[in-house]
Amino acid sequence: MACFERASPALKEILLKLYRTEKPMEIDHHLYEFGSVEYHVQSSASDPHDTYLSIATPLLSQGVLPSHGLSHYTIEMIKGICSDVLEIVEPAREGYQLTLRLDLAKIPQGKDGAKVIAQISSVQAVILSSQLKEMLQNVNSQDTSQGMYKPIKLVYHPREPFFVIRQPQKITAVFPMRFRENSDVIIATAFFQELMDVGSSEAWAKAPPCTWSPIPPPELRGELFEDLSTNGGFVSFDIFSHHVEGKQLDKTVWSLLNFYAYVKYHVKCTRGFIQRRMKNRLESLVEVLQNASMEEEEHIQKVEGCRCVRKLVSLSRSKVLNRRCHFTKKIRSPIKIHGFSRFRQQWLTMPKFSLIKYTKLD
Amino acid sequence: MANTSRLYFTCIRNTLEAAMCLQNFPCQEVERHNKPEVELKTSPEVLLNPVLICRNEAEKCLIETSINSLRISLKVKQADELENILTKKFLRFLSMRAEAFQVLRRKPVQGYDISFLITNYHCEDMQKHKLIDFIVQFMEDIDKEISELKLSVNTRGRLVATEFLKQFI
Repeated sequence: MACFERASPALKEILLKLYRTEKPMEIDHHLYEFGSVEYHVQSSASDPHDTYLSIATPLLSQGVLPSHGLSHYTIEMIKGICSDVLEIVEPAREGYQLTLRLDLAKIPQGKDGAKVIAQISSVQAVILSSQLKEMLQNVNSQDTSQGMYKPIKLVYHPREPFFVIRQPQKITAVFPMRFRENSDVIIATAFFQELMDVGSSEAWAKAPPCTWSPIPPPELRGELFEDLSTNGGFVSFDIFSHHVEGKQLDKTVWSLLNFYAYVKYHVKCTRGFIQRRMKNRLESLVEVLQNASMEEEEHIQKVEGCRCVRKLVSLSRSKVLNRRCHFTKKIRSPIKIHGFSRFRQQWLTMPKFSLIKYTKLD
Repeated sequence: MANTSRLYFTCIRNTLEAAMCLQNFPCQEVERHNKPEVELKTSPEVLLNPVLICRNEAEKCLIETSINSLRISLKVKQADELENILTKKFLRFLSMRAEAFQVLRRKPVQGYDISFLITNYHCEDMQKHKLIDFIVQFMEDIDKEISELKLSVNTRGRLVATEFLKQFI
């Protein structure tokens, strides 16, 4: 399961807690992420130096990798994270694909320590990306074995599989896009069209060519019907050798693994944006209607102002009623008299005398 | 206001000015009831002929008048799927907040996107010409808002696509 942040936030927090504590702690935590990734962190007070971290994660593809666990390349990548701090325990604990023994005492103090912890927390991302890296590194391989052009189905989420097809000089990654709501499909389709437009411009010639099609590409011919039935079409990226050279490999792999999450995040944000815009527009529309009644009220007040002495201020109807109620509350009668309220409003309201000057009658 | 839609909105404004002469009228069927006749349609003698103003197939306005109430139903243009969902979302959003507008109907008349119901009480509370201004401005604003939203969604999409492709370089 790919997400934007490589390090698992919950795992990072626990490891940082263990790393910063002065006294040995007894910890036995089971963490679950995205419903399919499981972490088990175990640390005992009797053995404060060693912390055990076990990970169970769905593998991208069962077909091309050893069924019993991780490939040699993946293990090498994990060892490369921070070789003096972590050690792979063989065999891994039951129910997990990988168990690491961490010696947190060897982690340097200060900011570097936090960086190392973040690297260890991103071990699941390393496992995930190393599998795809392994495939993409063979872009130019002249391997002509049987099934070379057969699509490899990669599943990092049961509902979101994608396909990698090895072709001469390039690898094509095809993403069947599925959305729950029709409105999401339309927002995403607009995004895919923009992605194609931007990708085909000269400024982005170095980026992998991207195509979107509502029907399955010919490379996926022969795949299961359930894999090819989508409502958002198919997005394909052609990966050439220059996209997987050196540091580019890591970026390309991470971008491809995150493509689903990226699209879904965009759709979600766009929906939020539309909602905000609608809310703002609602306020402005309501204001127009309120003006229709408020100005009328002002007009009435001006007319009334000629009849008796009143301040010519613009007050809303609710304010006027509140003021009246406040005054009349004090002389509210427990007996209900028909027409008394009108009489009270007309005769028992206190006129404001502050502006009136009285002259003594001779 | 765009020149192309000016005639359409002027026509609606003139029709509304002519139609909005409402008066209090108790229900003839049920004693001590006072209902909008345009909704009930129980007495044909208090109903006027409905007026349909069409700009094109996709954009029209139906004005139904009775002695004590007036119903205005609007159909907003939807050129493509994106405009369609934006219009639906926006008008549903407004209909769900109909209490803020007083004159907005919670459910549009069949075949239309949004409906207003103006009764003689609304005309007593509000100024007639302001109410007509509101209806016409509402129509203009809806069109403008949908166009702006569509443009914004596409612009956002383009920016997000650019950011995504930047990761490869």
